Amino acid sequence: MIIVRAPLRISFVGGGSDLPDFYHMSPGKVISATIDKYVYVAINPAPLLKGISARYSINENVKRVIDLKNDRIRETMLHLGVEDNMEIGTFSHMPVGTGLGGSSSFAVTLVKGLSTYLGQRLDKKDIAEIACKIEIDILKEPIGKQDQYAATFGGFNTFQFNSDESVDVEPILLDYKKSLDLENHMLVFFTGILRKASSVLKEQKTNIPQKMDTLKSMVDLVEVFKKKLIRGDFEGLGKLLHENWLKKKKLASNVSNSEIDQLYTVGMRNGAWGGKVLGAGGGGCILFLAPFKKKEIIKEAVHEMAKKLGLSDFKQVPIKFVHSGVEIVSSSLFN
Amino acid sequence: MEKHIKSYIKKSVKLLQNLPHKEIAKAMNLLQATYERDGRIYVFGNGGSLALATHWVADFNKTVFSHHLDKNTRRFQAIRLPTTEEELTAWANDVGFDMVFAGPLRNYLRDGDLVIAISSSGNSPNIIKAVELAKEYKIPVIGVSGFEGGVLNELADVKILVNTDKGEYELVEGIHAVILHLITKYFKNYFDYLDKNISIK
Repeated sequence: MIIVRAPLRISFVGGGSDLPDFYHMSPGKVISATIDKYVYVAINPAPLLKGISARYSINENVKRVIDLKNDRIRETMLHLGVEDNMEIGTFSHMPVGTGLGGSSSFAVTLVKGLSTYLGQRLDKKDIAEIACKIEIDILKEPIGKQDQYAATFGGFNTFQFNSDESVDVEPILLDYKKSLDLENHMLVFFTGILRKASSVLKEQKTNIPQKMDTLKSMVDLVEVFKKKLIRGDFEGLGKLLHENWLKKKKLASNVSNSEIDQLYTVGMRNGAWGGKVLGAGGGGCILFLAPFKKKEIIKEAVHEMAKKLGLSDFKQVPIKFVHSGVEIVSSSLFN
Repeated sequence: MEKHIKSYIKKSVKLLQNLPHKEIAKAMNLLQATYERDGRIYVFGNGGSLALATHWVADFNKTVFSHHLDKNTRRFQAIRLPTTEEELTAWANDVGFDMVFAGPLRNYLRDGDLVIAISSSGNSPNIIKAVELAKEYKIPVIGVSGFEGGVLNELADVKILVNTDKGEYELVEGIHAVILHLITKYFKNYFDYLDKNISIK
């Protein structure tokens, strides 16, 4: 059996500029970091099984790969040419729809796991690119490339998306103190609202021609964010997140909604320096950066607001940063 | 004598001032990622560089955790290659000296590991053989070299080059030891801070 995992990520600024409609016109750029929440895939060759057994929120037993309903498992197997009878299951610390890039981490995990099963050793770039191809070109998801790259490379990175489809990966060489201190200034809450990124990004994609200037100004924030991060200016980072969030809300009507706005306002009113909704928006997780001393007050206030809004699944999510991308956790295959 | 001492120190100081900071930072980033995924770190070199490799292993496996030996269940897994003199001589005698590192490396190497190759010239055939094996396995390589860097500096993912005239082994090996201790101290401080940080939370 092969067990493989890829981390989820927190995107800070520049999100949306990784959509081809934007970076074909002007270079896109994002800054993100991977966290200690993972998507796992287990691959178990089972020669006597009559086909493929896929285990996720449901169980699928099919004779041919092409009959699989799970689109990412199906297309990754088809793309890599895996035809053997096998069980393939997935486990995750967080459900899909939390804005942490889970579906792309899943695609990356599948590419790494199934290529390892075939005895192939792929470069990180190849893994990320194959995952992008499967999700964007084959499955026609209206998403960008940042999550596949973040999950593959791991750690704090900036990614630049060029019009020729190349991606420049620049690791941010952040010392342990800044990374741990950033964790101490962060608060992440799951709103209890699960949403599909594609529903938000579809409108955002259509709007790109009118929003070029907004997106360009968000791209400009990436380098500023990086400098403040390396300096450990957490207040400055919070303010930048706030600025980025105000811009992001303009990209599409469904990036925010009244619940998110009320939660965000309560966090800010109780002392947060800034924050944002993680991922495409419309639900998922909210991130705040705040002074250490204000964290307890903010926690109480947003929980109270969530209760008032009837968000029964609202919950704080403890987060740590990790520096390793997609990885084989264990492999008992000889090759 | 005074003149020799002065001139040697002057050259060493200049080399220290020109060290590639970004590459050293990249190496520390890679070591951090390898630690987090519980990967293994293989270190090797010839002659004085083999002594440094052994020193590196001792510092990583023990010294960085010195203040928390009872706390850290997850530690670095640094391995000097070859691990025994018997393997070294067996590979050298039976197969060839160019296989003394690549041979044993093949026994261990798996996804998620890391290689640190030390060579003053950067051209030792046995070092290059092992680095090529790591590259074939898509394992990241930190190349610690001197002189012009040689093939090692070309192949390595992280290029820590102490750029000197050819044959300046003493200077290069001395600076390599400083780099090792700089990295050791960084991780020692990291585990101290992590410990303090947990008690804050």
